[in-house]
Amino acid sequence: MSIQAHGVSWSTAGRLIVDDVSLAITPGETVGLLGPNGSGKSSLLRLLCGLRRATEGVVTFDDAPLEQLSRREIARRLALVEQNATTDADVTVLDVVRLGRTPWRSILSGWHEEDSAAVEQALAQVGMTTRRHQSWHTLSGGERQRVHIARALAQRPQELLLDEPTNHLDIQHQLEILALVRRLSTTCVMALHDLNLAAMFCDQLVLLKEGRLAAAGKPESVLTSQRILEVYGVETVIERSPHHGCLHVHYLPRRDTSTQAPLTPYA
Amino acid sequence: MSLIPARFARTGHRQGLHLGLIVLALAILTLSMALAVSIGEIHIPLITTFKALGNALGVSEYPLDRIHESIIREYRLSRALVAACCGAGLSLCGAILQALLRNPLAEPYVLGISAGASTGAVAIMVLGAGGGAVGLSLGAFLGALGAFAVVLALSRGASSSPNRIILAGVAGSQLFNALTAWVISTSASAEQVRGIMFWLLGNLGGVRWPDVTLALSVVLPGFVICLLFARALDAFTFGQDAAAALGIPVGAVRLILFAITALMTATMVSMVGAIGFVGLVIPHAARFIVGTAHVRLLPASLLIGAIFMVLADIVSRVILPHQSLPIGVVTALVGAPVFALILYRARPPL
Repeated sequence: MSIQAHGVSWSTAGRLIVDDVSLAITPGETVGLLGPNGSGKSSLLRLLCGLRRATEGVVTFDDAPLEQLSRREIARRLALVEQNATTDADVTVLDVVRLGRTPWRSILSGWHEEDSAAVEQALAQVGMTTRRHQSWHTLSGGERQRVHIARALAQRPQELLLDEPTNHLDIQHQLEILALVRRLSTTCVMALHDLNLAAMFCDQLVLLKEGRLAAAGKPESVLTSQRILEVYGVETVIERSPHHGCLHVHYLPRRDTSTQAPLTPYA
Repeated sequence: MSLIPARFARTGHRQGLHLGLIVLALAILTLSMALAVSIGEIHIPLITTFKALGNALGVSEYPLDRIHESIIREYRLSRALVAACCGAGLSLCGAILQALLRNPLAEPYVLGISAGASTGAVAIMVLGAGGGAVGLSLGAFLGALGAFAVVLALSRGASSSPNRIILAGVAGSQLFNALTAWVISTSASAEQVRGIMFWLLGNLGGVRWPDVTLALSVVLPGFVICLLFARALDAFTFGQDAAAALGIPVGAVRLILFAITALMTATMVSMVGAIGFVGLVIPHAARFIVGTAHVRLLPASLLIGAIFMVLADIVSRVILPHQSLPIGVVTALVGAPVFALILYRARPPL
């Protein structure tokens, strides 16, 4: 029972962005989506949650094609945390988290105990319970991301998709957000840039190159020097860290001078 | 009753507080309309106004001056009601457009929808096609839809850059104003031109009871439908994709609400001309009082908009002796500085 992509492709303005990707997300796991800029990570996330319609192939939820589900049905099962989503409106933390109950409330239904419980739990999970009345505009980047995650958790989803949740955050807040995501029992799929953080916090990795699946599996099988050279064009040495036991990627300075002008030493 | 921003109000008191605000707003609206009916070339005492209202509603039979009663019934009451409807409708449109387009400057006038409606109405009026109030409304409606289509087409991808829609509105306004000027200069007689120019700036002078019926029958159902979408509008806080991810059928919601906005704007413009900035100023004032949740913002915009327009109509009639200003001049004199203020506050932090 999971989300699966079957040969999914998506193109826009004549450019193929996602090219024949098939994958299955195992429930309960934290999956990292890796790849260079423009490799189709965000687009693949949007295809998985039905915000974009695949030009070829299908996405299925528990074997049901995504197109057969209404937007509301999808939103009850799956939540999305976008990259740096912000607003001009003068809203509070609580206002934002309450938005997560939207798919569970009909046009005329009131606010129920169940809604309050979901909101309270979500606030507690991200540690924002005491700051519920704080204005959105006074929050830092990391806090905003936590509030977005709380909003997504208030949807009570089975799967949570996150598009570069650590973007623009300092290392302390990156670690904090990823540890938070890791602690969740919800299945998580997140686009990430940092290979080392991905290796530390993800059970499975999916590596994309130019819209195609380059590799998928455990970090040990995906993160190899050869593959990183192929996908990113960067030389690396990869070893298991003696400090935290996860894989660690050491990036090596570029040595071949044939494709790049040599650095001119300062006079 | 104090104007406590919604976020400080405790949940227990919230319902009561907002009900109280609505009652207060209704009371102010009634008083403003009574004032609007009393004040004019011929001054009619407030008490006479209320007596005449009682007579009109059939709940009393006070003996009143027949001229007074007929001025109240035939001219001033219908004018005050249409003013209230226009203020309410335009404010509602502003609140909806600001939420859907995620731009604090969005409103029918700024987006050129009023300009499109004017073009349509002027074309009908001058070219004599159709004629009558219904033909005028139809022309305005088609013009408003046309302007809307132009603005949306010009601003495709507005979700990525909300400012594009304002630029598209500027372009659309220029285009439709040019078309209006063209129709006027090539086809209108000198007398028509004078009438049209006055009407383009907003004029409540010509409204009668059929206009009241039309205005009410557009604004009230429009308001109810918009209120049903209050929660969907909240979901647009972080943009279209965020709304879709919260289970909102974004395409359908946008289509329905844009159509209602176009219909309301077109009806108002066809009756009283293009009145600017009401849709801009009022939703911001309403947000200041009741917060950003649309289930409270929409009724607040409706009521404050109605009050504002009735008061603006009074000002337009009394500010110059023996002469009345176009109401659009009054609303623009209030609205343009507010527009500048919002622009100033919305500047990126240094």
